[in-house]
Amino acid sequence: MNTEMTAGGKPFVHHHSAHCESGVTSALFRDKGVEISEPMIFGIGSGIFFGHLSFIKWVGLPISTYRSQPGAVFRKAAKRLGGEFVTNRFRNPQKGMDELKRVLKTGQIVGMTTNIYWLSYFPNRFRFQFNGHNIIILREIENGFRVSDPVLDHPVDCLTEDLERARFARGPLEPRGFMYYPKFVNPYPDLKAACIRGMKDSCNMMLKIPLPIFGIRGIRSLAKKIIKMPEKIGFHEACRHLANIVRMQEEVGTGGAGFRFMYAAFLQEAAELFGSDDLGRLSQEMTSIGDVWREFAVVSARIVKQRGQAEDNFSKAGGLMLICAGREEALFKELNIVARKLKA
Amino acid sequence: MKVNEVPQDITYYEGEKRACYALNDKGKYVIVTSSGWSAEEVVNGLAVTELAANLEETRKAVLTGLKSPLCYHMERRQMIPDILAKTAGIATFRVKRHFRPEIFDKLKLSVLDRYAKALAITMQELKTVPE
Repeated sequence: MNTEMTAGGKPFVHHHSAHCESGVTSALFRDKGVEISEPMIFGIGSGIFFGHLSFIKWVGLPISTYRSQPGAVFRKAAKRLGGEFVTNRFRNPQKGMDELKRVLKTGQIVGMTTNIYWLSYFPNRFRFQFNGHNIIILREIENGFRVSDPVLDHPVDCLTEDLERARFARGPLEPRGFMYYPKFVNPYPDLKAACIRGMKDSCNMMLKIPLPIFGIRGIRSLAKKIIKMPEKIGFHEACRHLANIVRMQEEVGTGGAGFRFMYAAFLQEAAELFGSDDLGRLSQEMTSIGDVWREFAVVSARIVKQRGQAEDNFSKAGGLMLICAGREEALFKELNIVARKLKA
Repeated sequence: MKVNEVPQDITYYEGEKRACYALNDKGKYVIVTSSGWSAEEVVNGLAVTELAANLEETRKAVLTGLKSPLCYHMERRQMIPDILAKTAGIATFRVKRHFRPEIFDKLKLSVLDRYAKALAITMQELKTVPE
């Protein structure tokens, strides 16, 4: 944990978090004096999700996502907690940078969406063209900015030119210099009501979308696809696809097991808030589902590494995923009932 | 995942650590930093070596005169023609055309300058590839 100063001379405590968007949102709330943890934001903003978008290619491979679309967690959490945010997008990069400097001078910290490739303080292995990374700018320094990146465990410096490139990168999901900061935050938000809304929304997204690529249906159809994959597209191609799925699950700032552990942390916190044993039990169940996801990752890694020599094969990996689907379905169905019984 | 199960396998994050959620011995969730996981290393390594192999192939193609250096530098920035076209403000079909060395050689300075700015490299670098 590191303490930094903002331009207004106010101390800012940097918290290391697992996911960029929920980390940034909780830091903005904390800066305004509302103590709220990252998992809480993640749960209230209904971050947990699943989707397999075989028609959208990223480095030539289909996207599988374990969370809702970028920007949704921030938007939903802000709305449900009763915060009013100023959001800006810019056509002109120069205007975008000027506005950022102006806001920073007032002592306000600013959250923004950037392209992760151009942020040179990252290790090279993390850098790829992805326009959905969120960071917080603390203050201006000599030819650069002081940045609190929630994914790293300490604040860093970023050059002005890097930041400008990152903010105005082109391509899918263009950030167009998107920046946001709170105008007004309810100092005593109704956490309970917000939690219930978040849970209900998550249940709907996981269970009720009538398309076979989202939610539980998405997990099931992807699992079945994985089982058939080596015959359909050949072993080598199948390995690439499988590796990409695991990469999305573990690598892209998830806190482990494709956000499942973070959601379990949310359920645990909610259980304490409501004093509900049901939620505590669901949190434990979520943890063990997360462990199955981890096992899926281990098995997949072994398939990729040993080229299918051992007893690990695609049916086993797909089978593990089917187990996850079944257990998650039961969990969200129960959560749906439990959440409706809770009193705000 | 328990706190002592958080993988601390390899430090390929170049000294950085990432946060994981894990249960401590009282059964409460806490943030634990992880220095890397071998399973993740395998799948990530696959993607990284693939990118490196493609880049190397392009570099050789440039040296034998099959492709223009622009193609190499685009791949080095992990871009695709669409993204490069938007960043440089040049139509995609023209970007693809400029991958042909004979056409790339005849490009005007103003066009090269736009590519150099879009790729954040100097004009000299843009015209060559590392030997």
